[in-house]
Amino acid sequence: MFDVLRRKVGAFKSDTKTLILERKLDEKSLEKTLQAFELALIESNIAVPVAEDIISSVKAELLGTKIGRRANIDEILESALQKAMIKVLSANEFDFDEYIEKAEKPVNIIFVGVNGTGKTTTVAKIAQRLKKQGYSVVIASADTYRAGATEQIETHAERLNLKVIKHQLGGDPAAVVYDGVQYARARHKDIVLADTAGRMHTNVNLMEELKKIGRVTSPDLVIFVDEATAGNDAVERAKKFNDAVGIDGSILTKVDVDVKGGAAISIAHTTGKPILFLGTGQEYDDLVKFQPKWLVNKLLEG
Amino acid sequence: MPDLGSSMRAVVKKVVRAGRIDARTVDEIVKDVQRALLQADVNVELVMQLSSQIRERALKEKPPAGANPREHVIKIIYETLVEIIGKGVDVPLKEQKILMVGLHGSGKTTTVAKLARFFQRKGLKPAVICADTYRPGAYAQLKQLCDQIGVPCYGDGKAPLKIVKEGLKTLKDDVIIVDTAGRHALEKDLIKEMKDLVRILKPDQKILVLDAAIGQVAGAQAKAFNDAVSITGVILTKMDGTAKGGGALSAVAETGAPIAFMGTGETPEDLERFDPDGYISRLLGMGDIKSLIERAEESLGKGELDVKAMLRGKFTLEDMYKQLEAINKLGPLKQVMQMVPLGMEVPDDAYEVTKDRLKKYKVIMDSMTDEELREPKIIGSSRIKRIAIGSGTATEDVRGLLKYHKMMQTAMKGLRGGKFPMRKMMKRFKI
Ligand SMILES: Nc1nc2c(ncn2[C@@H]2O[C@H](COP(=O)(O)OP(=O)(O)OP(=O)(O)O)[C@@H](O)[C@H]2O)c(=O)[nH]1
Ligand SMILES: Nc1nc2c(ncn2[C@@H]2O[C@H](COP(=O)(O)OP(=O)(O)OP(=O)(O)O)[C@@H](O)[C@H]2O)c(=O)[nH]1
Ligand SMILES: [Mg+2]
Ligand SMILES: [Mg+2]
Repeated sequence: MFDVLRRKVGAFKSDTKTLILERKLDEKSLEKTLQAFELALIESNIAVPVAEDIISSVKAELLGTKIGRRANIDEILESALQKAMIKVLSANEFDFDEYIEKAEKPVNIIFVGVNGTGKTTTVAKIAQRLKKQGYSVVIASADTYRAGATEQIETHAERLNLKVIKHQLGGDPAAVVYDGVQYARARHKDIVLADTAGRMHTNVNLMEELKKIGRVTSPDLVIFVDEATAGNDAVERAKKFNDAVGIDGSILTKVDVDVKGGAAISIAHTTGKPILFLGTGQEYDDLVKFQPKWLVNKLLEG
Repeated sequence: MPDLGSSMRAVVKKVVRAGRIDARTVDEIVKDVQRALLQADVNVELVMQLSSQIRERALKEKPPAGANPREHVIKIIYETLVEIIGKGVDVPLKEQKILMVGLHGSGKTTTVAKLARFFQRKGLKPAVICADTYRPGAYAQLKQLCDQIGVPCYGDGKAPLKIVKEGLKTLKDDVIIVDTAGRHALEKDLIKEMKDLVRILKPDQKILVLDAAIGQVAGAQAKAFNDAVSITGVILTKMDGTAKGGGALSAVAETGAPIAFMGTGETPEDLERFDPDGYISRLLGMGDIKSLIERAEESLGKGELDVKAMLRGKFTLEDMYKQLEAINKLGPLKQVMQMVPLGMEVPDDAYEVTKDRLKKYKVIMDSMTDEELREPKIIGSSRIKRIAIGSGTATEDVRGLLKYHKMMQTAMKGLRGGKFPMRKMMKRFKI
């Protein structure tokens, strides 16, 4: 994976050798290699404006560095890029498990995102994870819109032996989540996971509906779910969902399909919020805690 | 569409401003096209290949006699993209079997219902088979969609191959559409299952359903599907969002399969024929004035809507009235607006005019005098009151209408105001 990045880094390296002899890192001598680097980031599925931002921050850092004759320029460059990407991925970082442990119960967590990214499946995976950790979990089926949505989450819940709070098709999703929280309070359940309908960020009515869910049920965490296969649009939709409901973190699904994972950087850069988990398949255990270093190393090491 | 358009507009500006085309100008233009395509999710390697093709032709080919060299470059860009994406394809209206395949959540199940609805409208009898036994609720989802449109749905079993075999025996309808589970290139078992489904079904069409937002992975995934079952067509879904759909260009380049339809919403009605010009305009972020004008002329007949005057910036309430009528015939305002090359950002509100509001506006305008329609400036508060009473609406409604008109007028002025080379474009399209 990331062969292109390797290749481009190779090109980068050969250029930097002359730089050592010249002992200066000026804009002109860096431009070509930085461009190649940028292209490599884009090929790793990082959105164009985000790749541009990262490259310019690396450039700013490099231009300020004095290079000794024996300094290993490759290491300097790589660590600059690594630093820039880790910084993007570590903004407002928090530990999900620790948060859940300390939060007042019941914890109300809402999952949002555009159509088909994996929200429902992810709710089931998170439920399984929390259950294994010993928490009691209730699912609120707030997708009252899509055909077969209730049947889908009910099947998951049945397999995981969990209670689902639901209303009829076309019902008010905010009311479902509200009922979920009430139920959890009455029965002393620890966590409510609310699955919402997929919606296009361009759909004004559906985005208003989402805001209403936020207003009515004051969620403790709003989690944005997007897929690793998404390209540049990841930026636009992350921004629109964050603007609408203020997300606390994201989950990137289908990393088994697109292992490049660049979308993680696009989303984190856009929202300024951490990536919490990666979805790596369709089974309940296909969920891994996200580590910024892991992704960045993958990006750089190939 | 906040960002949409800025990139290619810059390209057009550069092309138009450049006095003559030299290598440096071509390089600059090509760089801008590159960025537009990358931002639209076209595969990096394909972008590089295309841009060197464009550069080469732009420098080598002499523009035909009489043609402007700058327009020539735009034409080369357009032609290069058309050559790959093709003209789209019409699904034949006959008895047939169709297999739908694609990545998880790309929109297969929804699109099965859309296709069934399409054939139904054309007078054929469709039926569908659910061969997705993996995803929880898959059958319920398809069944509910089919019930909405009154199409038979066979499925609800445990083994996909068996379901298809039995479905074929049971269903005697004209068009059989088979929904399958989501899968990807590395899932060997599921790739094999897909091949087995082809063996049993012997489909006339094997449609790859592709999400408009898919990024760099599009080409490789499409290739894997094509290698396994030879894709015959592509349907691009979720085009109602902001994704530009460049993944489809990569997919078509890899498979050679043409694009048949676009999905533009979640209901069975939200299926549109693929329009290569509109698609390319969207890829490049350039408003598609050509198809706006064509469609306007087509559905209105000559003389009813003075597009020329409108684009020249003369935009009265009368024009708006006609425009609203035109919009009713053309489709949702947002789509129409996306086809206009905007030299300025149009406020989001402008898109959010609902059908009901349009209706109300027309009622209000029916209560205005010809003079008021031509010179909205003269409408003061006493006239507003009269118009409100006459049309049975509130004065706020009348004020709302006037505000909307002002906004549209400003937008139209922006078109004229030199931010976009409107006159040249008009000349180009012989308006
Ligand atoms: N390979 C893979 N597939 C996944 C993953 N997460 C979800 N999926 C699949 O993606 C498809 C869509 O998942 P859903 O959970 O229904 O997505 P959703 O966001 O709830 O969809 P809507 O509610 O319709 O918007 C299903 O086929 C899931 O099995 C993942 O991490 N890897
Ligand atoms: N806005 C919009 N949503 C769409 C479109 N097509 C499908 N969807 C939605 O996308 C989500 C996934 O669609 P499905 O039809 O379930 O996708 P699928 O490919 O069958 O998914 P799997 O069977 O899990 O692989 C659902 O929420 C659909 O309503 C479209 O053109 N526009
Ligand atoms: Mg769902
Ligand atoms: Mg499906």
